[in-house]
Amino acid sequence: MIVLDKITIRFGGLVALDAVSAEFTAAVSGIIGPNGAGKTTTMNLISGFITPTSGKVLVDGDDILRMPPHQRTRWGLRRSFQREQIADDLSVWENVLAITDNLPGSRSDRRTEAEQAIDFAGVGKLRHRLGASLNTYERRLTDLARCFAGRPRLIMLDEPAGGLSPEETDHLGALVVRMARLSDAKVLVIDHDVDLIQRICSETLVLDFGRRIAFGPTREVLNDPAVKAAYLGVEHA
Amino acid sequence: MKVTGLLAAFAVIAVIGLLPTILGGQWIGIFISTTCFAFAAMGAGFMYSRLGMVSLAQVALMGLGGWVTLRLNHATDLPFEVNLLGGAVATAVLGMLLALPALRMRGLYLALVTLMVAGGLEVVFTAFQFPNGGAGFWGVGTSFSAPMRRPTIAPDDANYLRYCLAVLVLGFLLIEAHRRSAPGRAWALIRRSEAAALASGVNVTFYKTWAFGLSGLLAGAGGGLLAASLGLLDAATFRASESVLLFALVIVGGARFWYGAILTAFLYRVAPGLLNTWGVDADLALVFFGAALLHAVMTAPDGIAGQINDLLGKVRKEQTRDRA
Ligand SMILES: Nc1ncnc2c1ncn2[C@@H]1O[C@H](COP(=O)(O)OP(=O)(O)OP(=O)(O)O)[C@@H](O)[C@H]1O
Ligand SMILES: [Mg+2]
Repeated sequence: MIVLDKITIRFGGLVALDAVSAEFTAAVSGIIGPNGAGKTTTMNLISGFITPTSGKVLVDGDDILRMPPHQRTRWGLRRSFQREQIADDLSVWENVLAITDNLPGSRSDRRTEAEQAIDFAGVGKLRHRLGASLNTYERRLTDLARCFAGRPRLIMLDEPAGGLSPEETDHLGALVVRMARLSDAKVLVIDHDVDLIQRICSETLVLDFGRRIAFGPTREVLNDPAVKAAYLGVEHA
Repeated sequence: MKVTGLLAAFAVIAVIGLLPTILGGQWIGIFISTTCFAFAAMGAGFMYSRLGMVSLAQVALMGLGGWVTLRLNHATDLPFEVNLLGGAVATAVLGMLLALPALRMRGLYLALVTLMVAGGLEVVFTAFQFPNGGAGFWGVGTSFSAPMRRPTIAPDDANYLRYCLAVLVLGFLLIEAHRRSAPGRAWALIRRSEAAALASGVNVTFYKTWAFGLSGLLAGAGGGLLAASLGLLDAATFRASESVLLFALVIVGGARFWYGAILTAFLYRVAPGLLNTWGVDADLALVFFGAALLHAVMTAPDGIAGQINDLLGKVRKEQTRDRA
């Protein structure tokens, strides 16, 4: 279970998150909301890039915010970025190893974990290709491999389907669901593609201007008039 | 791949074996110091290309390595290798200390901090000079100078050049070993972005400190080798402006490829010597370097080494096409 407990984050005068609380229990959950709603900020908080003005994050009872950022990976946190962050001068294989390098276990254990992750994401054929030569889809798949490597406990994907075609998005969505099933990890997905969210996320949190405007089973949330007004309204305007 | 590796190893051995025989007396000395400065260029190049960090203290750090090596030489009876290692390790430690303020800074500010360190070392070197066998901590005597021991296997200049080249190869292998293992991957992520590195579980502080230490180690080794080549060191060699010039030439030579460090050291040490033999004012070299730097910044981000690499790539492609 992922518990966001009254999270408030201020950047100077701007309140990016305003006492946001939510308890995610589903294997795959979504966070949606218009641009600037505070979605990425939520993930940045969990990653440890920013400190909250107040509030707590508990994952399976562990107080995530007390760990130094780099140790959260060892604990089991994984994430991908809105603007993907594949290292251009490393191969796909090395990009995955760059995660397992920092995990506990013997060298051969870590290689096996990297190998499994590559297989899972179906990027085995690309393993020797340099990051610089990958297209958007290949980058997103490599990101998934990186997130799957080791024993993840919480995986956060920030717009994983950004820039993908509908077919690619379908495949990626299926992989995300499989990812949650094959690992013991909870997965949090941010995306603007409401169809994708509806398909893969059982629970969804909707943010708008840093405030929670709805939270619950995805279908109910999407039918909420407040959500329609704030989020879908914006989209159709 | 294995065959190319073997060929490369043979080529390296051939160069190390033959170069000193081909070169004339005066040139051997120039090539020795070229080799020594290649260490500093290698350190600066790897910091820049792998981590995107600008270090403007590499030549000054060479001075520190030289100072410690000389100091140990005159204070103890230890063999040269031990003193050299002492100089290199001491410089690595200073390099890591340098990393502490640098960890909080980026880009221009980081470059300025390293430049301040270079300036600080320049002041110390100018004030206290380098140990020459005199008494006391600073070890500087005015009227005499005790000999600086060389490695027992390389007492003469020709063999000493071979010795320096062999150590340089070790330096390249050390960097390559890093590049292919966990530190190299961590550095690549740090260069991508610190967020990417942190999100991958990279201890950014640790790996940045390590990078500073490694480039200090290399510079220190270069300084120690230079000390044994000349027997004495002069503060003017390690001025802060020299560190800046070397970094500029690292950009010109190309930081991403190993031969970039060699090209850099050639430009730094051999080009002025060549101009001198041709009767051209050595200051003109600076003008030439300035133009080359502009050229590199505007059109060749990977320097001369990058252009060579592109050329080789084209030749290789044409060969495969011819074969097909
Ligand atoms: N480090 C920061 N410093 C100052 N302001 C920030 C910082 N990070 C985010 N913000 C601001 O906080 C608000 C929320 O940003 P956030 O990136 O979380 O939005 P988002 O929901 O991810 O939007 P998008 O859908 O466009 O990615 C925005 O107004 C943004 O400008
Ligand atoms: Mg965002």
